[in-house]
Amino acid sequence: MQLKAVFKMTVLLALATLLTVGCAKKPKTDESSQVAQTEMQQQQVAEVSEQPVTETGSSSSSAQDSMNKVVSSLMRVGFEYDQYVLTAEAREALKNNAIYLKAKGVRVQIEGHCDERGSDEYNLALGENRALTVKSYLVSLGVPADRLSIISYGEEIPLVMANTEEAWAQNRRAEFKELN
Amino acid sequence: MKKILGILLLVSLFSSLPALAVRIEISAPGEQTIPLALTRFLPMGGSATDSATKVDEVLIADLDLSGLFELADRAAFLSDAEELGLHSTKVDFGQWRLLGVDAVVKGGYHIDGEKLVVEARLYDVVSQRLLTGRRYVGKVGDERRIAHSFADQIMLALTGKMGPFNTRLAYISTRSGHKELYLMEVDGQNPLRLTDHRSIVLDPDFSPVRKEIIYTSYKKSNPDLYRKEIYTGSEARFSQRPGLNTGGRYRSDGGELVVTLSKGNNSDIYLLGTDGTIHKRLTTHWGIDVSPSWSPDGDKIAFVSDRRGNPQIFVVDINSLKVERLTFEGKYNATPDWSPTGEWIAFTRRTEGQFDIFLIRPDGSGEHRLTFAPGTKEHPRFSPDGRFLVYSLDLKREKSIHVMRIDGTGDRRLSAPGGNDTHPAWSGYWQ
Repeated sequence: MQLKAVFKMTVLLALATLLTVGCAKKPKTDESSQVAQTEMQQQQVAEVSEQPVTETGSSSSSAQDSMNKVVSSLMRVGFEYDQYVLTAEAREALKNNAIYLKAKGVRVQIEGHCDERGSDEYNLALGENRALTVKSYLVSLGVPADRLSIISYGEEIPLVMANTEEAWAQNRRAEFKELN
Repeated sequence: MKKILGILLLVSLFSSLPALAVRIEISAPGEQTIPLALTRFLPMGGSATDSATKVDEVLIADLDLSGLFELADRAAFLSDAEELGLHSTKVDFGQWRLLGVDAVVKGGYHIDGEKLVVEARLYDVVSQRLLTGRRYVGKVGDERRIAHSFADQIMLALTGKMGPFNTRLAYISTRSGHKELYLMEVDGQNPLRLTDHRSIVLDPDFSPVRKEIIYTSYKKSNPDLYRKEIYTGSEARFSQRPGLNTGGRYRSDGGELVVTLSKGNNSDIYLLGTDGTIHKRLTTHWGIDVSPSWSPDGDKIAFVSDRRGNPQIFVVDINSLKVERLTFEGKYNATPDWSPTGEWIAFTRRTEGQFDIFLIRPDGSGEHRLTFAPGTKEHPRFSPDGRFLVYSLDLKREKSIHVMRIDGTGDRRLSAPGGNDTHPAWSGYWQ
């Protein structure tokens, strides 16, 4: 997979691959260690809020999946419980998304989603705030605002149908849908 | 209605003191129960059908849910239970006094082709008088509605306040594969799907003056507010501003709505005309403001805001726009519903890993928890008489509609097994 991707040789791809594999080129090494650090921090936070150990394995593997897809699609962004501020990890993903969006010039809709805990209507507002935060950050990275629309689905469309901390973490997210 | 009041008036004017004791000052369940004999309704000429059984089942269930009555054991009934007794002079009250009941329900039915006639009577055993009598003319198949209606009359006659059984519940169900709007009777019978949006329908509320329901739907790719006439099925989208158009609630006179609008930016509480135009903005805050609920007088709105860092219940005065915080305990309080009596505000609070239903007085006093069983409880809504709460229970694999008395007793499941049924809303009095 990685090799195949390398042959395509876009700037974007190089960046993505480096982030995933953690190659030893100078400026990028810093970035990858940064990513690793935030993941560590998150694990600590996660343990305090009683997330199971499986959380670690799956979240890093799903992050890898997203990384692999970055060349062809936009990365999903995760959030903490009842929060709409961007984590360091989310910011990194959005930097990739901004590069993609600027290169492709497509219009996208940013979907804000929540986990199922909490009231439906509050979660609709929370999801909207997540989508808005993502939009603002992308605009600050130079993506034209008129190419970004938002919608909140609250807790209505979970990614993973389960009542576990792991599922909830995956369901708290912003997603990107390309518009024609 | 006038007739009943007349009967009540007569009863109070002419009955002796012990008889007045029957028209007890019970307004809350659990305080004192009225011993009541409920006889099976008898055929008035013609052959017996299952109409009596249907009426019987509904009356027993309604009176039991009310928590106001102690139904006498039928095995102890004497010969008068087999007599029609549609006039007080034809009832052997001595037999009922022996059983220690204060009131007795008698009734008969007659079927003529498709036509169904039901006669129902409630007698005061001590004063030997009629407390309420109704003659229902309908079709075969109307037994349940007739029985719900008479259960409401029994409650009116014996407590002074109408029961809520001949009303409807709206709710959201995924039984068709999508979240759609449904309607059912208050005991969960006769569910009927009202929408076919094949999208996401959310959060219904009944018009208090028309047979109409408002709700939010993603039918046109944005959470917009819709209204639907229940019987004609006619539907209209009436608030489609960018972002959230949610949480619509009618004022008790139906003249105005309170809603959450975000205008694609930030959620705040607004008053809308029934045509969807904005009458007034009630909150202006960068935080999340959602889930508005009217006070019965229509001068205040309870809502949820995270303006102090996590979701709490606040109350805004719609004239002065002054906002006061109502809840201080707990880290997540949501979905307030103001009792039609004005006495309580029901809400949900995150407890130990789940949500439970609480009551608090509008002045912030008297806060207490109603539910303790496993599972998350959401969306509490009062019955139109303020005696009951309907809510949705999430037991991980299945979500169902439940009802309980406002003291937390009498809890029972209403919606049929095998669905994800949420967001109940209780209609006003149906006729």
